[in-house]
Amino acid sequence: MRKLLQLIFGDVRNVASVAAALLAAYGLSRVAPAAGGALLVLILIGAAALQAF
Amino acid sequence: MTAAQWGGASAVFLASAVEWVEAFTIVLAVALAIGWRRAAGAAAAALTVIAVLIAITGAGIDAARADIERIRAAIGIFLLLFGLRWYVKAIRRFAGRTALHDEAKAFAETREDLERSESRAAWVIAFKGVLLEGLEVWLLVVALGHTLSYPAAAGSAAAALLVVIAVGFGLKAPLTRVPENTLKYAVACAILSFGTFWGLGGIVGERAAWPMGDGALLWLFAAYAGAGRAIAWAARVPSTRGSVEMEA
Repeated sequence: MRKLLQLIFGDVRNVASVAAALLAAYGLSRVAPAAGGALLVLILIGAAALQAF
Repeated sequence: MTAAQWGGASAVFLASAVEWVEAFTIVLAVALAIGWRRAAGAAAAALTVIAVLIAITGAGIDAARADIERIRAAIGIFLLLFGLRWYVKAIRRFAGRTALHDEAKAFAETREDLERSESRAAWVIAFKGVLLEGLEVWLLVVALGHTLSYPAAAGSAAAALLVVIAVGFGLKAPLTRVPENTLKYAVACAILSFGTFWGLGGIVGERAAWPMGDGALLWLFAAYAGAGRAIAWAARVPSTRGSVEMEA
């Protein structure tokens, strides 16, 4: 079960990246709703770059 | 049927077609990873769940309407978690940091386990994607159904589904000629795009998060696809440059 969960959701870095990206996008969306999506994309791309190297 | 009823049926057909195209995109992406048979099975299972829901609750869908945002957020977050992992793996393969078929050389048993688990997860993605889009079609049918009749509205939605399936299956053969990692990369970008769209849309409201509506999915896909290739280029290992170009 644990292995399956890890295969689906990835390691801690993966989960932390998605959680941080969503929190930041949610925070920005409360001030500038339309900008939240762009921030979410940028953070996820940044997280992918960090994990890819 | 009167002109107004034809208009209503056309509206349901076109709006349903948009939702079915999104659902089919997910099934298509998953089919490339786990095969058409299993992906179609997941889609059929989701459609069955929707049919059962409709049979049980009929047109009384106030509860479903209230919960659709929560369902969207939950599925979106799941897709983000799964999609980001696939995205990184595909980028590393393009960059030559993970061998394209290193699993085949050793750890055959582990690989088999891994593929089986990933296959299960991919099945769930197809199931949830079709379930969510199907629920949206259901809401649409009920919302617009009162302008004509529920059977006519449901018939229009079903006709749209058949058209989308027919067109989609035409894409099956050309896709088999695309290299494996390129397909997996496209799948990851599609899953991430839907995850981003539904995840944030479910949390802050779709209209607030994505003023462009469903059209945002296109630029999301373009952004992930473009950025991923740039990251792969920057992270490439010189000795594998040849294989990266060949695979691309």
